[in-house]
Amino acid sequence: MSEHSTPPTTRRDFFARTSDGLLGAALTQLLCHDFFGGTSAFGAESDAAAHAAEPAHNLVPRQGHHPAKASAVIQLFMNGGPSQMDLFDPKPVLDRMDGKPFPGNAEEIGNQSTADIGVMMGGQYKFARHGESGMWMADVLPHTSQMADEICLINSMWTDHPNHDNALYKIHSGRLFMGYPTLGAWTVYGLGSENQNLPAYVVLNDPLGPPKNGTRNWTAGFLPPTFQGTRFRPTGSPILNLKQQYEQTSAVTAAARGLLNQLDEIHRHERPHSPELDARIESYSLAARMQLSAGEALDLTREHEHTLAMYGVGEQATDSFGRRCLLARRLVERGVRFVQIFLEEQPWDSHVDLADNHRGACLRTDRPVAGLLRDLKQRGLLDSTLVIWGGEFGRTPTSQKSGDVYTGRDHNMQAFTSWMAGGGVRGGTSYGATDDFGHSVVENPVGVHDFHATILHLLGLHHQKLFFKRSGLEERLTGFEVPRVVTEILS
Amino acid sequence: MPYQRLHILAISVSCLMAIPSARADEKGPVFESDIQPVLARKCGKCHSDKVRKGGLDLSSIAGIRQGGESGEAAVADTVDDSLLWEMIDGGDMPPEGQDPLTADERELIRRWIAAGSQSEKPAENVITQHDVLPITLLRCTACHGARLQQGGVDLRTPAAMRRGGDSGPALIPGDPDASPMIQRIESESCPPRDLLLKFFVKRPPASEVKVLREWIATGAMEVDVLPDVATTDPDPLVSSEDRQHWAFQPPVATLEAESIDDFILKKLTENGLEFSPEAARDTLIRRAYLDLIGLPPSLSEWKAWRNSDDPDWYRKLVDQLLASPHYGERWGRYWLDLAGYADSEGGVSDDPVREVAWKYRDYVIHAFNSDKPYDRFLLEQIAGDELLDYENAPVVTGEMIENLTATGFLRMGIDQTGSRTMNFVPERLGVISDAITVLGSGVMGLTMECARCHSHKYDAIPHRDYYRFKAIFQGALDEHDWLSFKNRSLDVATPERRKRVAEVNPPLIAELKKLESRLKQAVSTAQIETLRQHYQDQSEADRKKTLAALKIADNNRTLPQRILVENLQRAEVIPDSEQPATVLEARLVVNRIEHDIEQVRQKLEPPLEIRALWDRGDPSPTYILRRGEYDKPGQLVGPGVPSVLTDGRTPFVAEPPFPGGTPKTGRRLAFARWLIQWDHPTTSRVMVNRIWYHHFGTGLVKSLENFGVKGERPSHPELLDWLAVEFVERGWSIKHLHRLIMNSRTYRQSSRVTEERQKLDPQNRLLSRMPLRRMDAETLRDSLLFVSGTLDDRPGGRPDSVSVNRDGLVSVNPTSDGQWRRSVYVQYRRTEIPSMLETFDYPEMGPNCVARTVSIVSPQSLMMMNNEHVRELAAAFANRVQAILSSQDPVRVDPVAAQVDTVYQFALNRLPSDVERRIGIDSLELLQTEWQGDRHAALATYCHTILNSAAFLYID
Repeated sequence: MSEHSTPPTTRRDFFARTSDGLLGAALTQLLCHDFFGGTSAFGAESDAAAHAAEPAHNLVPRQGHHPAKASAVIQLFMNGGPSQMDLFDPKPVLDRMDGKPFPGNAEEIGNQSTADIGVMMGGQYKFARHGESGMWMADVLPHTSQMADEICLINSMWTDHPNHDNALYKIHSGRLFMGYPTLGAWTVYGLGSENQNLPAYVVLNDPLGPPKNGTRNWTAGFLPPTFQGTRFRPTGSPILNLKQQYEQTSAVTAAARGLLNQLDEIHRHERPHSPELDARIESYSLAARMQLSAGEALDLTREHEHTLAMYGVGEQATDSFGRRCLLARRLVERGVRFVQIFLEEQPWDSHVDLADNHRGACLRTDRPVAGLLRDLKQRGLLDSTLVIWGGEFGRTPTSQKSGDVYTGRDHNMQAFTSWMAGGGVRGGTSYGATDDFGHSVVENPVGVHDFHATILHLLGLHHQKLFFKRSGLEERLTGFEVPRVVTEILS
Repeated sequence: MPYQRLHILAISVSCLMAIPSARADEKGPVFESDIQPVLARKCGKCHSDKVRKGGLDLSSIAGIRQGGESGEAAVADTVDDSLLWEMIDGGDMPPEGQDPLTADERELIRRWIAAGSQSEKPAENVITQHDVLPITLLRCTACHGARLQQGGVDLRTPAAMRRGGDSGPALIPGDPDASPMIQRIESESCPPRDLLLKFFVKRPPASEVKVLREWIATGAMEVDVLPDVATTDPDPLVSSEDRQHWAFQPPVATLEAESIDDFILKKLTENGLEFSPEAARDTLIRRAYLDLIGLPPSLSEWKAWRNSDDPDWYRKLVDQLLASPHYGERWGRYWLDLAGYADSEGGVSDDPVREVAWKYRDYVIHAFNSDKPYDRFLLEQIAGDELLDYENAPVVTGEMIENLTATGFLRMGIDQTGSRTMNFVPERLGVISDAITVLGSGVMGLTMECARCHSHKYDAIPHRDYYRFKAIFQGALDEHDWLSFKNRSLDVATPERRKRVAEVNPPLIAELKKLESRLKQAVSTAQIETLRQHYQDQSEADRKKTLAALKIADNNRTLPQRILVENLQRAEVIPDSEQPATVLEARLVVNRIEHDIEQVRQKLEPPLEIRALWDRGDPSPTYILRRGEYDKPGQLVGPGVPSVLTDGRTPFVAEPPFPGGTPKTGRRLAFARWLIQWDHPTTSRVMVNRIWYHHFGTGLVKSLENFGVKGERPSHPELLDWLAVEFVERGWSIKHLHRLIMNSRTYRQSSRVTEERQKLDPQNRLLSRMPLRRMDAETLRDSLLFVSGTLDDRPGGRPDSVSVNRDGLVSVNPTSDGQWRRSVYVQYRRTEIPSMLETFDYPEMGPNCVARTVSIVSPQSLMMMNNEHVRELAAAFANRVQAILSSQDPVRVDPVAAQVDTVYQFALNRLPSDVERRIGIDSLELLQTEWQGDRHAALATYCHTILNSAAFLYID
């Protein structure tokens, strides 16, 4: 039997006409158009292809387990661990004890090492109440505080590890170790995407560098790699290899793609019942569509000047983060399911000069964050977009010795503040409470699994029903112990 | 802290502290007379003191208070909090099919718990040394144990505690207040605050101190408890019915069939099918090459095989490929996936490099190339250190080195225990657990890891079996006497190697030092120049401050320091095209020095260091960990293998392998020998299935890692057994298996799917055709290199480095002559997996990878279409095509057609069909027009397209 049997009659005719050279150029253009437009010259076949793709590997939008409040998530990740008692959770008792020794056992402060524990350190900024809800926020957040009535502060977050690496794994994947799928991966695994021309799960990295733990912050772990986060860069080529990295005119590219399409169609037709070949052709076509769509989605020149100003685009301190927040809105608008924004390395990790360093981090992020909330609200997108702000842990009530100065705070896994806004969350809420020093949770604790379960709930997913079978076991984002959906913060 | 409670006659405990529940005079149900008979009748089948299903013994009040694997007592202060009542009330216990409790019995139990679960005898909880040792191991022995005896004190045994050290006994029986160990713990002078992180110890919580106190108060009671191990009595939790599971019975070869084809054809016929026709010769050649060596044939090889008129050509082709050194590079890679091979430790963001992991990689490749019998291969990898006494040998031999290198097998998991803060017992247990998972999933076909926290839910692997299995590794991987990855390596070498290293390396190392200091200088110069060019107003002092700030960890910088550094970063990320010439020049100097450093490094003799696993002869006792938690010790166990894989009557016996020589436990050696017995139920089956999987894309058993009851049943059980027996009988030869499989008609089938086959065999479980397969990551990259003539096929040694560009693209650095080596020789740092390989499903090893995903996603297409390196390879490919054509007869009728034909021969190992040829010619003409008449550019674009085509990526 010949391995290269001729394709079916109609197609043979089609290609026969090509090969005489007269129609070659025209056909190439046609196929090329097909490639970019996504409407195949052999449309019926292409539909069959989409149908035959393996369900676990695709991003077709799916129904959740219950009606969703939020259809998209923007996670503003504050790498390094912002200080709760300086930003959101004022502690007058701590202020009064400023400079005094920690009243309890120093080993209970919570980090591994007790060698450089300093003294009690009062709040570094002035607090005031904001909005109708009278939510506390520090004066280094002048913009975010204006949006207080949209925000639900969770002051009673806690986690399991005082090291960045592990706490980052935990907050993103629910486990203390590498290799587990992240919240974003689980979300798109559960829900697919509303936009087939863009990745479902987008990561907006800081152009200054990757966050601590790098790509592991958005890994698909053991889930199929389709569900991993795709990193968009705000400048240059937004996706790895999205643009040609070599010189070639678009006419050449068009001709090459036309050729590829012809060859692959022949190849596929000689091999009926091979869904993987259909899926592959589709993946080339998505790649081509993505090159167009991503370019359009990332083009901020289409934004009004006052919108850019709202995000602080164009001002040195806020430009970079502002652009990413604005991009996040544009992506969510286009049906991207999950967007994560990171800062480089870990700017919130203030072991030294906390007052200055946190002020610097606020300066970069406060206005863009508020701009994002305001913009989403104005466009009617906030109701369906869940915005999450927070880091991997909080900071200690005591100062930390570094050299011979005591100006920063160490890591604190026992309490920290995260906030949510939009997407079915009750704005103007301050949930949970910590002790007099902001050191540990005393009321309504929210563990990372609870936090994740609540986010899934808002997305219409049930934490127990969302699982992936691995070696005969059902793996879940929220692990074995049943978590609690924090219903009190839902609107 | 759960106490170890023992049954001791009441008379001997009259002096002991009793739990105040013995109030037999009060009304209400009493355990002995009212409850115990009910529990014995209705629950005793599973929860007797002998069976202890779920670790729970309901035959005594002590057992009830101890509870089961969950670590929680069966009865609590209130009815609602009592696990026992929860199980009864919820209808979970007794389980379906067992005699249920009557309403009266339930009520009786409820009343009993409500009234305080009274019993006649005091709860006979005697605290013994086995309650205490897990605590001292966890909290004290880092300074008072095997390696270190501070103050002359050793707290590993009660005798040593009594003996004490320089300042007298550590404990005074009956008087905890006067016992130095209690005093020191309670005053927090032990463990000393400043040493907690040095020795990775945490202070004992109050509950543990209480146990220590009570033990001393009650006389520091010692009981003679032998570790719980398998005996000649079958384990009551593992029934003979459990052993009847198909995979737990030794494989038996049927006599009714004599070849793979007999088995396959039988099933096909039963389903109204026949074999597919044999694949075309070109297809077979390409299939065999890519399958066995992971590279396509060269032009001349392809021509020779295609034109051969030897009727036996195919068998010879298979033999020749099996003899190729590239075979081990391909099939060894599969084993490296199974082992979870990586060139870095992982776990922490630094992701430290494993300098000599590659020695294990080379060992594996060599083992496959030399067809090392699989039983020997396992023996060396599991217990290579216990085969020859290298520590006592007059001369270290090559064989010893090979054995030790092999033990790298169980050292491949993530290991963060070399980090400053991540070397506590839980992290160490993680390393051990990974090693067990690798063995379970990769070699034994058992999901052992499921039994770490509780008895296996589906397979008959009781909780204790997991910890007996863990005890096998205790001599080498002892969480209470740990070597972090930094000091877990051996400097063992043959005298010749030692001499060579001593001669070659010192001058090179001196040179490296010089170069490195020059590099530092050059980097600073480049940075200063960058600042000068981009911030002309900045003071020179600020520039110097910037460099100083770079030396401070980013989270310890002051705000001004941060701003300085940020400015530099901002300037550095500006694309090269916009950088001033002076900056580029300064960077060029840096690159040059880096290049020089790499050159010198390549000349270095590899270090003597071996990343080995070796028994240290003096293991801590192994306790069951309830719920898998490090501070919830249960019963003492000894080494053993999963009972369900044994006949249940043969104890596990480990003997020190070198009597009179180096002390070693011999436990892993005994385990390995058990594993490679000819009639072991899973060892041969699992391996045969893996080989089958790699040839056909699906195993006979689909779940490669799970042959247990939840695993998939084999599609052809008799074939699996026949192959397993054949494998063992032919001396565990893997190459023999390849021959059997590849010469079969089954393997030689065409991959075309007809309507009928699709209907009758939709999943191809009957193997009515050869499956169409996508190249895996390494085959794709290696084939691209091979076709483009840029493959450097030198084997072995230090892995080739990678670089990460500003986009996050990870690419492999070329070797000194501008080529690239095979993917198996690239550095696999967990955080820097080369992008091309990662995009095509190179796995995250966690801890290993038993089967790779085959995804089809657009980043793959983007990589192949847009990546510069792929495009350069296409251009190199075009050069080769042109070179070949110009060396041939210049008078060709159609030079363009010749180009098309040659491209197909190189890349796809066949000639184009007429349609493909015509499309090729048209396209080349069109491309030439678009390239303004540049023929070479047109050919390069054509080659690039062919490398992007499905025909290249998919193997028929």
